[in-house]
Amino acid sequence: MTIAPEEIKSCCAAAYSSEAARFLLGDSFHPGGAALTSHLIAALEVGTGATVVDVASGPGTSALQLTRETGADVIGVDLSPTSVAAGARAARDAGLSERVRFLQGDAEALPLPDASVDGALCECALCTFPNKEAAVRELARVLRPGARLALADVTADVTRLPPELTGLQAWIACIADARSLAELASLLGGAGLIVEQAERHDEALERLLERIDGRLRVARLLGASFVDGALARGRDLVAAAQAALARGDLGYGVVVARRP
Amino acid sequence: MALHQADRRKVDRDEVFLEYTKSICPVCKRVLDAEVNVRDNRVILRKRCPQHGPFEALIYSDAELYMAQQRYNKPGTLPLEFQSEVSDGCPLDCGMCPEHKQHACLAIVEVNSGCNLDCPICFADSGHQPDGFSLSFEQVEFMLDRFVAAEGEPEVVQFSGGEPTIHPQILEFIALAQAKGIRMVMLNTNGIRIARDRRFARELAALKPHLYLQFDGFELETHLRIRGKDLRADKQRALDACAENGLTVTLVAAIEKGVNEQEVGAIVRFALAHEAVRAVAFQPVTHSGRHVEFDPLERLTNADVMKLVAAQVPEWYRLDDFVPVPCCFPSCRSMSYAFVDGDGVVPFTRLLEIDDYLDYLSNRVLPDPEVRQALERMFSSSATPGAERALLACESCGIDLPGRLDELEDKVFMIVVQDFQDAYTLNVRQLMKCCVVELVPDGRLIPFCAYNSVGYREQVRAELSGVEVAPVVPNALPLQPLLQPTPYGSKTANGTGIVAPVNASNVGRGLE
Repeated sequence: MTIAPEEIKSCCAAAYSSEAARFLLGDSFHPGGAALTSHLIAALEVGTGATVVDVASGPGTSALQLTRETGADVIGVDLSPTSVAAGARAARDAGLSERVRFLQGDAEALPLPDASVDGALCECALCTFPNKEAAVRELARVLRPGARLALADVTADVTRLPPELTGLQAWIACIADARSLAELASLLGGAGLIVEQAERHDEALERLLERIDGRLRVARLLGASFVDGALARGRDLVAAAQAALARGDLGYGVVVARRP
Repeated sequence: MALHQADRRKVDRDEVFLEYTKSICPVCKRVLDAEVNVRDNRVILRKRCPQHGPFEALIYSDAELYMAQQRYNKPGTLPLEFQSEVSDGCPLDCGMCPEHKQHACLAIVEVNSGCNLDCPICFADSGHQPDGFSLSFEQVEFMLDRFVAAEGEPEVVQFSGGEPTIHPQILEFIALAQAKGIRMVMLNTNGIRIARDRRFARELAALKPHLYLQFDGFELETHLRIRGKDLRADKQRALDACAENGLTVTLVAAIEKGVNEQEVGAIVRFALAHEAVRAVAFQPVTHSGRHVEFDPLERLTNADVMKLVAAQVPEWYRLDDFVPVPCCFPSCRSMSYAFVDGDGVVPFTRLLEIDDYLDYLSNRVLPDPEVRQALERMFSSSATPGAERALLACESCGIDLPGRLDELEDKVFMIVVQDFQDAYTLNVRQLMKCCVVELVPDGRLIPFCAYNSVGYREQVRAELSGVEVAPVVPNALPLQPLLQPTPYGSKTANGTGIVAPVNASNVGRGLE
């Protein structure tokens, strides 16, 4: 891998806070949408009075959903100041500023004390973190004993991916440095967490890829300026990802783990 | 003895009991208790008439889909006024009575009973007939005023018939409805006059009603069996005249089993390619009025038509691109919207999670109420081409389109699949939330499926034409020995076939 870790991190954070990303991905930036987020939230088994951290919280959609569904307080952490501001705005608009806060911070060095949260959510983000071991260690560090991490992520057998899925664009698309479901589970185990569930949700990624392709086509139909150059490349990337998914080399997975 | 009993095994019924409801006898039209059961993944309505015995009809051919659609059931809206009172109970108090669960999204005015065709399939039993009616300007104005009084700002009126284009005042009626502030005025036509009368086409262009053009397919056999004539050249000329005059069109295809099922895909492709066409409405043939003999357990339902589209246009459509419409009963109507680009179509269902917004039973918090409202306007019985603007114009729309909306005019395509009920399939539960109504000259708004099946149509025609009208009975296979023809080509009861009276209903009685 020839791309510098810092470049990847800031590039990913910027990409996900852009207008283009919002158009292509909609409000829910990850495969599975609100329904899969609900599934993860339920696995945390938290309620009123609990505090949950949402790592790589983006525009705050899942953080707000979490507090609405469980009554728990949420701290959203994101590297992009734009996303942090968008999240705070969304919380204010929803009248939930008291319950949901957003902090600018790096997943590999969370701005939270040890054993300070009752649950952690991390959706479709670990794959974009260059130092995954550090990020997982941080997640484990901030969990209280008995608290759970619910993680959803792109899964891949990277050795079998074609070259177009290993460049910078593919990093942003969470693919180039993804892990297999088994590797994800052992990553969490390596940080001292006990893995309770590991499930495949490949169909969620399939639907998201289809949506991105559909939206790229609509953007072309409307002559949208921001996708001018990227459009053809974007559709090629989607097609390559769809082919890898069909071969079983790419997918989506959920892992739930508990701190002992 | 004990041994004998051990040999007797209890067995399960071959069906799952789903609903208890009401219906009518297809022969004598009396109101009956009814059951809805699922057998072999098919949803079947069953009822028993004390005089005419038991009846079964298929109401949805995919039980799993039928069940999944129940979540799309929006709370109804109260109209500003009702036109009738509750006295005998549904479906005898139409309408609309205060027990009705939904306001009128769309109203139909049948301006005449005469037609320039005599189709073998016509739910209105119209044609070249010695008797009939033709409404006056005053009658139409009164009917429209009642609709405005009930709705405030009505969404859609369709002028129908008979054949409305042969009514001498049809242009005045269209202008009148537009002047009354009705948002969308449509003209339901076979297209013959538009094809053959250039001046009429130009006069229509000045008013710009949206045309609801009967269009059942391309094969000669389809035309002969549904319309009794080869109308292919007329259809093409009518569509070209529409394009020439800037009129927009929805193609309306009546689909009958064993007749034109194989043409569904060709109709979609043709509609997408023709510059005047914005939408296709598929309707499994309604077995009211005049129609060919059919088997009530083998009839087409919405599920079949949607599957035909998915099977015949697989590169563009899937079954899950159709969204159940929440304003009526969700199994009555499904719709799909799609963007059209050089590569084909992109259904809206591939662009946003519509389920997240139109699931009315889920406890999940709504992502954005504004988007739900916009989607409700799109997925509605009052939706006409262009309804997607409600969503696309929405500040926080689930798609957040870049670019300009006015460039989209001809880039969105709509497919509607609508199953109307007849005397065999009538389920009062669905009827109570029906949002398509017939306006009648005495000022009532009668839900369309009640109008066609319960006997209201015959009553209204008799009153308007001054000629007695026989109650129409579906031309169903099991009823053949009980039927005789009416002067209009439909069937009526011949008075035979009365079985030993058994009254199984206990409504209105208690323990004795």
